[in-house]
Amino acid sequence: MIELIHLVKKFGDLVAVNDISIEIPAGEFFCVLGPNAAGKTTTIKMLTGLIKPTSGAAKVCGIDVQKDPLEARKRMAYVPDFPFLYDKLTPWEFIRFTGQLFQMPDAEIRSRSEELIARFHLDEYLRKPIEGLSHGTRQRIAISAALLHRPDVFVIDEPMVGLDPQHARVVKDILRERADEGMTVFLSTHQLSIAEEMANRIGIINRGAFAGVGTLDELRSQSGSDGKLENCFLSLTAEAAEEPETAPIA
Amino acid sequence: MDRTDARNAIPSPMALLLRVSLLQAWRKLGAIRSQSRLLSFVIFGFMVGYVVLSFLLFYNGLQFVGRFPGLGEVLTERLLFLMFACLFVMLLFSNLVIGYTNLFRNRESTFLLTSPVSFQTIYRWKFMETCALASWAFLFLVAPLLAAYGLHQHAPWHFYVMTVGLVSVFIILPTSLGAFFAINLARFMDRRSFQVAMIGLALVVLAAAAIYMKPEIVQEDIEDTRVLGLMDRLLVRTRFAHYPLLPSFWLSSGVVHWLEGAVATATFFFLVMLSYSLFFGFLSFTSLGAMFYEATSVARSRGGVFGQWEWFKRRDSRRRSLPDSGGVAESFLNWLFWLPSDVRALLVKDIRVFWRDTTQWGQTLMLFGLLGVYILNLRHFSNQMVNPFWIHLVSYLNLGACSLNLATLTTRFVYPQFSLEGKRIWIIGMAPLGIVRVIRTKFWLAALSALVVTIGLMALSCRMLNLPADRTVFFSGVVSVMTFTLTGLAVGLGALYPNFKEDNPSRIVSGFGGTLCLVLSFVYIVFSVVTLALGAAWWKAQEASGNPEAPYMLLFLSVSAALLWLPMKLGMAKARSTEL
Repeated sequence: MIELIHLVKKFGDLVAVNDISIEIPAGEFFCVLGPNAAGKTTTIKMLTGLIKPTSGAAKVCGIDVQKDPLEARKRMAYVPDFPFLYDKLTPWEFIRFTGQLFQMPDAEIRSRSEELIARFHLDEYLRKPIEGLSHGTRQRIAISAALLHRPDVFVIDEPMVGLDPQHARVVKDILRERADEGMTVFLSTHQLSIAEEMANRIGIINRGAFAGVGTLDELRSQSGSDGKLENCFLSLTAEAAEEPETAPIA
Repeated sequence: MDRTDARNAIPSPMALLLRVSLLQAWRKLGAIRSQSRLLSFVIFGFMVGYVVLSFLLFYNGLQFVGRFPGLGEVLTERLLFLMFACLFVMLLFSNLVIGYTNLFRNRESTFLLTSPVSFQTIYRWKFMETCALASWAFLFLVAPLLAAYGLHQHAPWHFYVMTVGLVSVFIILPTSLGAFFAINLARFMDRRSFQVAMIGLALVVLAAAAIYMKPEIVQEDIEDTRVLGLMDRLLVRTRFAHYPLLPSFWLSSGVVHWLEGAVATATFFFLVMLSYSLFFGFLSFTSLGAMFYEATSVARSRGGVFGQWEWFKRRDSRRRSLPDSGGVAESFLNWLFWLPSDVRALLVKDIRVFWRDTTQWGQTLMLFGLLGVYILNLRHFSNQMVNPFWIHLVSYLNLGACSLNLATLTTRFVYPQFSLEGKRIWIIGMAPLGIVRVIRTKFWLAALSALVVTIGLMALSCRMLNLPADRTVFFSGVVSVMTFTLTGLAVGLGALYPNFKEDNPSRIVSGFGGTLCLVLSFVYIVFSVVTLALGAAWWKAQEASGNPEAPYMLLFLSVSAALLWLPMKLGMAKARSTEL
């Protein structure tokens, strides 16, 4: 599970994240939406421990990401929108390396990766250098490697960039299955259709704070608009935009 | 633990990172087989050539200095101490820059920070990587120097083994200090202000060195004793290399004493260095990990340092509220009304990119700044020189130095220009401007900008050497031709061997085209300077009749024209057929 407790992040005068609090229980598929520069990536960076919050805390499975980072990271996986891969390695070498970083025995790496490799159709690329592979294939490798150690919390930023419809479906299916098995998914995207289709709850961030959180029905009532998520999104972000600016703080 | 357990044991993160890194390095090495044989040959030839040439240079230099009556030994030793002191400063600077980039601007660091690897382990890994990356060039530089020194002093075989040990221990110190400074700089400065501060610091150091090392005019009345006086002053001025707390002093003392057979003293200096390396290495390995995370978080979380000042805040706010007026570059280029507007737009874009890339103008400033300081100091040299032979020789050497500086910059910055359009190539490629005019515009912009600096430096060189006006015109003309040729070579080869996959200019330059550009530029400069010097009559005993320079000049102009025209023609032909 994920707990964000009064998270604040300031970049100089600018308040990028302004007092975000939320609890996402185990097994929930949570989607974060928001306009550009709303604070989504900054929130993810604090959740994954890449940056320190100015105040507040982020917890993963009850472990404070700042106080016990190693334990928190053992239970978590993070796939950014443009993941880093070692270009001269082959996909299999990279997947095995990631498994070993998570202290997985070889036999376990082998058995778990077989399923992922088959589902992501990576078989034909296993022995080719990563440097020659397309963005979509690299994305599939990164997701496979991240899922290998069966994390309790899975954080992913724009997962569908570069993926063809077939593999986008595979990613959705796997994440749904894992969420059903108890993995918490924290997904940031601009594609409203993914949130609409996959999420148990959706959080709409605007100007560093949640403009709305809840199921699609709850968002409809919060925004006062009917129908598609797009209407709720536009309504909630427009409302916030009209309010007087909270940031910057002196 | 039985054998099965040992086989199944999971390696530590450090061992895993080391293994992956070695595997990557091995694959890169293996990739040489698939790259052009000509490129491999050129690189290998260049490396061997460098080692042999620098060895010969050091060896002959040491022989020359060693023959100085009475002071040969002292001067040789001082030279060694000075070299290591300068190399230590360079190594420290190199470690600082590479360490900063490696720790805070590296995608692997970001990846590892979200993996279950401790901050200390990530820091240790980056520390070792920085040490290797920053030190290999140092090792490449000192190997021929130490070999030449050993041979010159008839050193026994164990001297060479000992120096390997001394140098291995020595390189840990600048890495530790560099990493410490890099982490603290990241904590307190953003990238932009760091770059500006570094360039500012380098300029201050340069200016201080120029003032400190300024030659003094020797009075006529002490001419009899002026050599001894000069030597005395030289030794006093360079005494800083013997400062006992300088790590380079321990290294140099270890080398010198081992060579003299004072094993105990050499071992003492080795142990001094070892103790400092262990102390700072231990501190770094055990304590800087947490600080590294702090610094990473700060570096990723901060608005620009300049943004905290009121003036910058007001400027940013003005920029948000007012339409862009076009800026200085655009206003300046608007005067060139005869140029088509699309060409002007491209020029403005290239000028802005150059100005906003601190690396580009920083390195340009450093290279030509150093040359400028040196040329300015020539006035003292020429005041004391009565023999025109040396004056002329120096003027030709200045031509070579100025062109070599230019070649470094054209290869480093002009060559990758076309490739750097990279994924953006469709913008200018699809524009009515046409790709060929883009190349021509890049050529003219680079050549004319470089010309301002090269003509200025050559004119200054002639002025400092008190050369007559006709020689100033001659050198200005020659350096202009060389500027156009070197720029044409870089632009043409850049278009002929484009690499649209890379965003990193140094990787683009390290390909076949970049290496070819560097080698051809170097060969062309050596050829030009030697040809022109051979054509000049100043070094001959008697002046030849007629115009002896004409055939040499003709040869120089023909080669220059060919090296300008051919790559540009081939590059433009290639660009026309490039599929965007």
